[in-house]
Amino acid sequence: MSPEQTSLLQGTLDLLILKSLRAGEMHGLGVSRRIEQLTGGTFVVKPGSLFPALHRMEEEGWITAFWGESENNRRAKYYRLSKAGEKQLEAETERWSRISLAIGQALEAS
Amino acid sequence: MPLLTKARSLLRNLFFTRRVDADLDQEVHSHLEMLIEENIRAGMTPADAQRIARIELGGTAQVQEQVREKRLGSWFHSVWADCRYGLRHLRKNPGTTAVMVFTLALGIGASTAIFSVVYGVLLRPLPYADANRIMAVFEVTSHGQPSRLADPNFDDFRDQNRSFQTIAKYNNYVTSVSGAAQPTRTMVAHVSPGFLKVFGIQPMLGRDFSEADGKKGAGRYALVSYGYWRQDLGAPTDLSQPHLRIDGAVYSIIGVLPASFRFPAEVNLWLPADLDGEGHSRTSHNFSAVGRLRDGVSAAQANQDISAIARRIHDTSSEQGDYLLQDAIVLPLQESLTGNARLPLLVLLGAVGFLLLVACANVANLLLAQASVRARELAIRSALGAGRGRLIRQFLTEAFLLSLVAGGFGVLGAFWGVAGLVALAPGDLPRLDNISINIPVLLFALLLSTAVATGLGAFTAARATSGDLRQGLAEGGRGQADSQGSRRVGRVIVAAQIAITLMLVVGAGLLGRSLMKVLAVNPGYRVDKIVAMDVALPWLDDPKSNASRAIFFANLIGRLKQIPGVRTVGATSVLPMAEGGLPNGMFLLTSHDELPTSVDALVAMMIQQKDRMGIADFCAATDGYFQALGIPLMRGRFFDENDTPNSPHVAVISESLARERWPNQDPIGHTIEFGNMDSDLRLLTIVGIVGDTHEYALDVAPRPTVYVNLLQRPRPAVTVTMLSDADTRSVTAAARGILRELDPELPPSFQTFSEVYSASLRPRRFNVILIGFFGIVALLLATAGVFGVMAYAVNRRTHEIGVRLALGASSGNILRMVLGEGMRTILIGVAIGIAGALLLTRTVQSLLFGVTSTDPLTFGGVTLLLVGAALVACLVPARRAMKVDPMTALRYE
Repeated sequence: MSPEQTSLLQGTLDLLILKSLRAGEMHGLGVSRRIEQLTGGTFVVKPGSLFPALHRMEEEGWITAFWGESENNRRAKYYRLSKAGEKQLEAETERWSRISLAIGQALEAS
Repeated sequence: MPLLTKARSLLRNLFFTRRVDADLDQEVHSHLEMLIEENIRAGMTPADAQRIARIELGGTAQVQEQVREKRLGSWFHSVWADCRYGLRHLRKNPGTTAVMVFTLALGIGASTAIFSVVYGVLLRPLPYADANRIMAVFEVTSHGQPSRLADPNFDDFRDQNRSFQTIAKYNNYVTSVSGAAQPTRTMVAHVSPGFLKVFGIQPMLGRDFSEADGKKGAGRYALVSYGYWRQDLGAPTDLSQPHLRIDGAVYSIIGVLPASFRFPAEVNLWLPADLDGEGHSRTSHNFSAVGRLRDGVSAAQANQDISAIARRIHDTSSEQGDYLLQDAIVLPLQESLTGNARLPLLVLLGAVGFLLLVACANVANLLLAQASVRARELAIRSALGAGRGRLIRQFLTEAFLLSLVAGGFGVLGAFWGVAGLVALAPGDLPRLDNISINIPVLLFALLLSTAVATGLGAFTAARATSGDLRQGLAEGGRGQADSQGSRRVGRVIVAAQIAITLMLVVGAGLLGRSLMKVLAVNPGYRVDKIVAMDVALPWLDDPKSNASRAIFFANLIGRLKQIPGVRTVGATSVLPMAEGGLPNGMFLLTSHDELPTSVDALVAMMIQQKDRMGIADFCAATDGYFQALGIPLMRGRFFDENDTPNSPHVAVISESLARERWPNQDPIGHTIEFGNMDSDLRLLTIVGIVGDTHEYALDVAPRPTVYVNLLQRPRPAVTVTMLSDADTRSVTAAARGILRELDPELPPSFQTFSEVYSASLRPRRFNVILIGFFGIVALLLATAGVFGVMAYAVNRRTHEIGVRLALGASSGNILRMVLGEGMRTILIGVAIGIAGALLLTRTVQSLLFGVTSTDPLTFGGVTLLLVGAALVACLVPARRAMKVDPMTALRYE
């Protein structure tokens, strides 16, 4: 809602979760593994950070949750990107590019 | 849209908590299972798979707690959980909880009750528009005392001031009023026009006095109170019918005042003040005055303004002397009404505040003892992911629960306490009818409970969460270092408690000893078996009316003597200890050769010849009055039947006047002129000397008094005193019947003299009873506090004591050790208490009588009492320590 207030790291986690879910609905472990894969293993999200983030984002209305069957026929909670979530992803992506560009420029300047 | 989602989430979190939690639990568990499966697929053994998965997850409970803390509405949840948890904890220790609630309820309830009195009397604004703009105006006497105003002085204030919109004078007295349903003794006020404007009041029916209504010789009109209009007049809407006969004149009613208006207190009829003309003397002080400040003028400015006028009068008046004003003063009306009650009430409030502190100290100690038992529980909660903030909040929540419940009980108690206070309070306490438990008082109770809760909660939280919490777990909840720390804090609290209690009990002791000294004063008269009947004949200026009054009183007294059981009947202008008191004035030692021709001439003579002037109270009484009250004749004679209105007028003087004005002489046979008091310029011959009497109060020295013969110089309003062995009720009934036969228009009122007398002691009794009660309660609480801390200390040191005993310490050594530790704490408390009391008792100096504020007997006695009580409280745990069985004690750990 108010991205300027959220810390960079939390913002990053939100962005990565949203980005992972862009590919389709996923349970918590799936999101965690997807982030690992997307970032080439740079980010390993612990459940202690993942679950609070997922639940908070659900309360924000960016993602919706439902119970489904896992690959191994296990009951698991799945998350799906909502309309609001897609908009949020766009906004976050745009913000992130701006920041990384700015930081990149700052670091390149001698 | 997002807002809606959020609201839905919040509602779900708040109201379907169980489902949300079950959902979360399932989710975390299925996550764990999937992690395990993943690991197995990667080729681990099931045991390794599970271990690694658990490490990656980091504890299902902690993860869930982290999610819960992030949830919307988690704040409500955790507060609610804290409350439930706190309640469960308080219920688990019902005994301790009950003691804490009771102790706090006592403190809060007593404070609330006393505050309701302070609020009702001192703080609550007077019920008039812009009441803080209403001022009382006083002359200041040559002795610096505020006094009432003389007519010409008031006129100068009214005409020359630039500070008041309206200023009005008034006085009030009880007189007989007939013309309504039945004759009544009614409080009547004489007021100048503009009186109601000062208060911003309009009659609810009819009209206010006009300027013309207040002029000399104007038609006689009256305003009546709402209560009088309803009850005595039957609430007529047509005011032209009823006519009232007051002091021999007939008044028509022009207006009814609203029910809320009653000033001066108890007044039912307001009449214009100057219908028979104003007084001319600047030294006869007959009126009080009130004024409403002009907009933008401050009380201080008004004070300067009026004071300047007063000093001008002082400098230019021809009536120089002690009775001429020296200055004038303007005070807010509220302050002037409650000025005398202020100090005693503030002292009471301070005393009850001390009691509350002592009560809080006890509860703090109990909480401290509980907290150290809870160290293990705290450690577990901390290990399960509760942050320090969360634990502190837990303690605050518990303290709030405790204090609010106690506050609730306290307020309930205060309702009952206030009824008791009002019943016990001295009748002359101003605005007594204003005292109740109302919204501001309830707010005060709430605020007080909150303050207590914050204090106690912050204290226990700070104590309990200091240091490393998890260490508590390692030490099996027996953190030795921590418990030593809390024992020290406990002792500091007990020392403070002892100090505060000592100050409170010293205060109570000083006031109690003052009361005893006052009660030991010989008033100079008998109090019991006397029935007093107030009668007011019409107040007429006609000198001829005196003759008929004398006949009437002689007749009345003669008839009353016939009542079976009545031994002696007398009459006096003012009964000792009755409201109002005797008038005081100058008299002149003179002879038949030098008689003044008028009161003004007399005053002039007194001012010119100061060496022949005396000052005394002026009382008119019959010989039976002295006999009924047992006032002893020292020399000479009382009045007798040869003293008739037309025989030479005689006087009896009090011993102190004889000593003061006729030192080394016999005053009997001397003649004095005291006609300025009753406008009768006939010379008075002193025929007797009687014992001194305390006319105003036992704690004020008897005042020199001149008694004239009531049958020679009758007053319209008298109190008849009947000394009787018969039952009060039958005497009252018989006297009422006799008076009705003599004059059916004269309503009497009856009291026993002992009622009047003991009422005069009520202010002092009130303070002593309350502060004494607070002192006793504080003493009990402090004793319990000492006992609690010592018993707890012994309990915690059982092991150490066992070791000492095993190493050869005698039980006497142990007793000395425990007692020594206790007494050190107590003596420190006592020392601080004595120092504090020496500082504080100075503020109550003016309430003391016969003792100094540093009275060694009181200080010594209270110290002994307190140390004795504390010693007993130490002795019980000390004896238990002495009896510790070393073997059991060593196994105790």
